[in-house]
Amino acid sequence: MRISKGIFVQITLAISLFLLIFILFNNLYVNLINKQIGFTFNWLLRPAGFALSESSLNYSPSNSYAWALFVGWINSLKIILSSLIFSTLLGIIVGLFSKSKNKLLRKFSSIYVGLIRQIPLLVQLMFWYFVVFLGFNNSNNDHYSHFFSVSNKGINILNLNLTTEFSALLFGLSVFTGAYIAEVIRGGINSVPSGQWEAFKSVGLSEIQGVFYIIIPQSLPAIIPGLTSQYLNLAKNSTLAIAVGYADIYAISDTVINQTGRAIEGFLILLLSFLFLNLIITYAMEFLNRFVIANQNRRIR
Amino acid sequence: MDYMKFFSKKGDVRIHFNIYDIILNFLILSIATFSSVKIIVWSFFEANWSVVSKNLALFTFGSYPYHDRWRPSIWIIYLLILCFFTIFNKETKKKRRPLVFAWGLFVPTGLFLVCGGLGKYPIPISYLGGLSLTIMLTSCSLLFSFPFGIFLALCRQSELFLVRNISKLYIDFMRSFPLITVLFFGQLLIPLFLPNGVEVNRVARAVFAFTIFLSAYIAEDFRCGLQSIPVSQIEAGKVLGFNDFQITSLIVLPQAFTIALPALTNQVIGLFQNTSLMSILGLAELLGISRSLLANPEFIGSYLEVYIWLGLIYWLFCTIIAMLGRYFEYQLDYDGNNR
Repeated sequence: MRISKGIFVQITLAISLFLLIFILFNNLYVNLINKQIGFTFNWLLRPAGFALSESSLNYSPSNSYAWALFVGWINSLKIILSSLIFSTLLGIIVGLFSKSKNKLLRKFSSIYVGLIRQIPLLVQLMFWYFVVFLGFNNSNNDHYSHFFSVSNKGINILNLNLTTEFSALLFGLSVFTGAYIAEVIRGGINSVPSGQWEAFKSVGLSEIQGVFYIIIPQSLPAIIPGLTSQYLNLAKNSTLAIAVGYADIYAISDTVINQTGRAIEGFLILLLSFLFLNLIITYAMEFLNRFVIANQNRRIR
Repeated sequence: MDYMKFFSKKGDVRIHFNIYDIILNFLILSIATFSSVKIIVWSFFEANWSVVSKNLALFTFGSYPYHDRWRPSIWIIYLLILCFFTIFNKETKKKRRPLVFAWGLFVPTGLFLVCGGLGKYPIPISYLGGLSLTIMLTSCSLLFSFPFGIFLALCRQSELFLVRNISKLYIDFMRSFPLITVLFFGQLLIPLFLPNGVEVNRVARAVFAFTIFLSAYIAEDFRCGLQSIPVSQIEAGKVLGFNDFQITSLIVLPQAFTIALPALTNQVIGLFQNTSLMSILGLAELLGISRSLLANPEFIGSYLEVYIWLGLIYWLFCTIIAMLGRYFEYQLDYDGNNR
């Protein structure tokens, strides 16, 4: 019986991959036995014993590791959602600036995008935390400090108190992602044919009306895929929170792994929680995309 | 209706005054002037640059042995000369081949020099730090991740079910996780997967982690290039009697590379910036050195100076990489679109 070349290649690939994985996991098994730690998830229910600088839910060091990880996951979700909103606003504004008739505004947006994209996010986050937010004065005895105050203890808006770490992370991530979103928006606006601009001018709409009613709705199909990947990047970049000491899922997993020595199990939980975050963002954006397309079809009809 | 304008564009009126524009320009200009004056005053009179000027060697070499610092310096100078010749070599095509050769030798030369070649004793690569470690991480990761990424992209296009789906799974899997978890895997978990007694140093593990991460992204960028090549190109190759290997290496890959080049340049810039993540995991590269410097009581509080200095270095190198990318685009522009 003759075996064709393709099948031969595939069988070889499958066998060699299987062997590789088998060898790696065999090594892992041997190492885990040698270190006498084994592979269990029992430790998740033991008290964590460390305090968190920030938690939206009730948390105390006597709570379990599992609860600590969940609080970290919620913290991650919090920073991702809030910087997602701010970076989108910033990105739209700067993206529109880059299409402005005003030369200085165009210059500003190109300098902003160029500068932000050439400096690592980690350096920017540390700049926001150590230089900007820890550099503010401690005193907040202005007469309007009841409504809004910024100090090295964070930002206070009415009864809402944002910690220093959260504010630094929020600013750093929003400014960074805003630069990338501005490029996405600019590309989307460029994809609208110039006849549309002339058309809305000829029916007597003002520039601002035209941009918001004619140009942006048409550029959405080109913008949303780019926006989705930027949001996913934002979610991934939020793990750099550990550099400023914000208790997100990665930072807490790191602490948990250091405390318990359960590297494999902790890493698996980290990966799963990230998978879940990614799925949420992807499905939300897919829903948005379908909504936009449906809306557009309705409008055309 | 068009309240943004005083005078319409029609006719001979060249200057169209717009009150909003004038106010806006005035505002922007005054803010720009104010902040630039403030920055200049701060940087010349108030800033204390001693943290940078006293530690230039530390920023460049880290804790590399004092008497052997000529090794990484020669390597960095080699890099700068290469960049210079590559960027300012637009006319003479004769020099292209030695230039490609010199670029190919860049990483081996670096490893040979830094690890103690030409000397009496070997030097562990983990002594390397600062800018030279950043460059080492970037260049080694690139050297490995480009071939692997191209290989993955080709597998992704394969007709074989298993080959295609395994590479698709790998690419999607890698792209869904943050870089720092992959680096974490490289630093803490790889030792668990190695047989007893085998040890790999931290720099090599970091390079491995960067490679498996970046190759997925490179594969995805390359796939865009591969997909945009018309089938007629492959048919033309078949007509000329090329075999599959020749068609891929001589016809498909060069064209795909040209198309994917801008995206690949962005990946290289991203990699150079992302090496800073290793400072969280305990390697003393550019950012790691700065963090340990800022923890030194002598330089405490000079955060702004250090971060501006770091921003300048990263900005400079990213600009150089972008210029190199543009140069390669110019060189590979077979159709002559950009000339």
